[in-house]
Amino acid sequence: MRWTRKVTAALLTIFAMLLAGCSAGDSSDTAGSGPVHITFWSALRGSQEVVDEFNRTHTKIKVDFEQVPSGDQGGWAKLSNAARAGNAPDVATIEYPQLPGYAIDGVPRDITKLLPDSVRRKILPQAMDLTTFDGRTYAVPVDIEPMVFLYRKDLFTKNDIPVPKTWAEFESSARKLKEADPRSRIASLFTTGGTLHMAGYSWQAGARWYDTSGETWHVSMDDAPTRKVTAYWQRLLDDDLVRVEPSSSQQWRAHLRSGETAGWLAGAWAAGSMMSSTPSGKGKWAIAPFPQWDLKKPTLGTQGGSTFMVTKDSNRPKEAMEFISWMVTSPAALRAKLSSGVSSAYPSVPELVSVARKEMDTSYYSGQDIFGLFHREAKLIDPRWKWGPRMVSTTSSGDDGLARAGAGSGTILDALREAQRRTLPDLKSLGLSVTTH
Amino acid sequence: MLACVTLLAPFTALLVAVFLVPVGYAIGLSLFSEDHKGLGFGGGITVFTGLRSYLAVLDDPSFMSGFGAIALYCVIFVPVVVVSALALALLLDSGLVRLRRTAQMLLYLPHAVPGIIAALIWLYLYTPGLSPVIKLFAQADITIDFLGLHTVLPSIVNIALWSGLGYNMVIFYAALQALPREVLEAARIDGAGDVRTALQVKVPIIRASVVMVCMFSLIGALQLFTEPMLMNQATPMVNSRFTPNMYIYDAAFRRNNYGMAAAASVILLVVTCALSYAVTRWAGRRDRSAR
Repeated sequence: MRWTRKVTAALLTIFAMLLAGCSAGDSSDTAGSGPVHITFWSALRGSQEVVDEFNRTHTKIKVDFEQVPSGDQGGWAKLSNAARAGNAPDVATIEYPQLPGYAIDGVPRDITKLLPDSVRRKILPQAMDLTTFDGRTYAVPVDIEPMVFLYRKDLFTKNDIPVPKTWAEFESSARKLKEADPRSRIASLFTTGGTLHMAGYSWQAGARWYDTSGETWHVSMDDAPTRKVTAYWQRLLDDDLVRVEPSSSQQWRAHLRSGETAGWLAGAWAAGSMMSSTPSGKGKWAIAPFPQWDLKKPTLGTQGGSTFMVTKDSNRPKEAMEFISWMVTSPAALRAKLSSGVSSAYPSVPELVSVARKEMDTSYYSGQDIFGLFHREAKLIDPRWKWGPRMVSTTSSGDDGLARAGAGSGTILDALREAQRRTLPDLKSLGLSVTTH
Repeated sequence: MLACVTLLAPFTALLVAVFLVPVGYAIGLSLFSEDHKGLGFGGGITVFTGLRSYLAVLDDPSFMSGFGAIALYCVIFVPVVVVSALALALLLDSGLVRLRRTAQMLLYLPHAVPGIIAALIWLYLYTPGLSPVIKLFAQADITIDFLGLHTVLPSIVNIALWSGLGYNMVIFYAALQALPREVLEAARIDGAGDVRTALQVKVPIIRASVVMVCMFSLIGALQLFTEPMLMNQATPMVNSRFTPNMYIYDAAFRRNNYGMAAAASVILLVVTCALSYAVTRWAGRRDRSAR
């Protein structure tokens, strides 16, 4: 609604003028001298440190940072509303799945030409593919998160359970663990957040929930690879081999601490999250490569990971891009981010891995070379995956269905099918070209 | 003439400002929405899209299931609230209750608590790990899950009942107070006991109030939002499109689809109007045939 945007902008201007009161005229926004100010919103931990480091080392550009709530805590809505009112920040942080939706709503700027080739070349191609649609790039990846298997090494060793290399082994290990300790389960089937996990598993198996070939969205959240994956997980669920719980919930963390949940399938970032949320697990946890369907043809999906966009509203796209390029490619930025605490986010620029490796204290994992593992795994990420245009609501619909499946009503596949059914009307009402197959 | 205009002006002004203008705006929003081509990247343009948003809403299984949830809710809520409010009002009216005024006030008090606060309090009582009620039951070795697949709807009804009971009771009680005393006297002289007087004399006379309460409860049910919205935070069994109103909220603020949100609002308005009309017509016809 163009005119609503104008009216809102006008109202905001009047309001701002009223606020400014007698100090009006002090604004140096248009002044030629002094540094250029750009605004930056992020929910990522360590962003303040990164911004401080940038402001310390740069004189021509100054970044004003605002820590915003994470997406599902209101961050997505905040950014949408700001963009609608015409006052989005110059640079915003967004996760991969949500990017297409924002790009359709016209929030990020098309940065295909703005993004320097020198930066583009450094970024893992699979990451770049996730922010590029139909040859147009809408965001710059900062981290990409190959999925890994975090497990309680001590429990596996004690009960003489092999670390699974394949999904078949994963199932037999799950059975052995339950046999050895009836209260313990190998991993969780997540309800809240579970759809994105299912997406990662399906991605690995070769599924393509969304395909953008031929200027059309081909939607199939129940294609053959997905059906293989959901049938597998349904069996684990029916045989009570996995624990049903919401991800990031209190109860789930409690189970990780007690060892009742002895594993976690998640993106590489989970290593750092585990260290900060479960300090008592030091020395007990280890990280293994993700189980494979076929060891001869290893592939992988991701879970998590973020990107930076220059918004359409930005008046300083060049400076904004310079800031983003620095954040994504400079070792100083990564060091600043890591200085804030524990982050094991895998950088989208592989040549920065050595920095992360050096900075990260991996004594929690008994000194395991976790970044070396991530580095090997990241290369396996299947490049064909695309996220869909309305993932916030698609995943929340899927999560509802997974919770019902966990409670014994319907199946995991039903949950994904229902999520698709609930997504299609939206896409059609936007006028998008959509098919299902 | 002048008096007529003056008297009607405030009502008309309000009707226009808070009802007709918003409805007109919603209809406008539902007919004009963002249009995209192909994959849709780079933002759309707002154009006249006709009934596209309406078709999308009607094609959405989650909008339709919202009405299903409401219907189920009504089946439980309306009879329970009407029967219990009526029973309480008759008890108060019968003079059997001492401290009538105190009882009346105590029963009405929950209605004075804002719905959102009430829902929060109940949510606290429903949440495992927090709730003293669940803890109490657990001590007696009974596990209760108020937020489970099958218990969540009764839990919502319970919240609404708590605040609706006193309010509806007051309506019934006021109607009972207006009964002509000579009718009741006649009933007593004819040998009718308290229960018989209540059921066969009082209730039929205040039937108009009963119909009104039914209709208000029905319309109120269609607007159901606060309670399930809060429950949505606590349990995935209440999804973000659980009722039509929640669907509208979800469309507007989670999916940024104002066209669909507006279309769904207009559809809900039409359904509500049609239902109210049907209930009044039905009640009116019964009224006439009873005479």
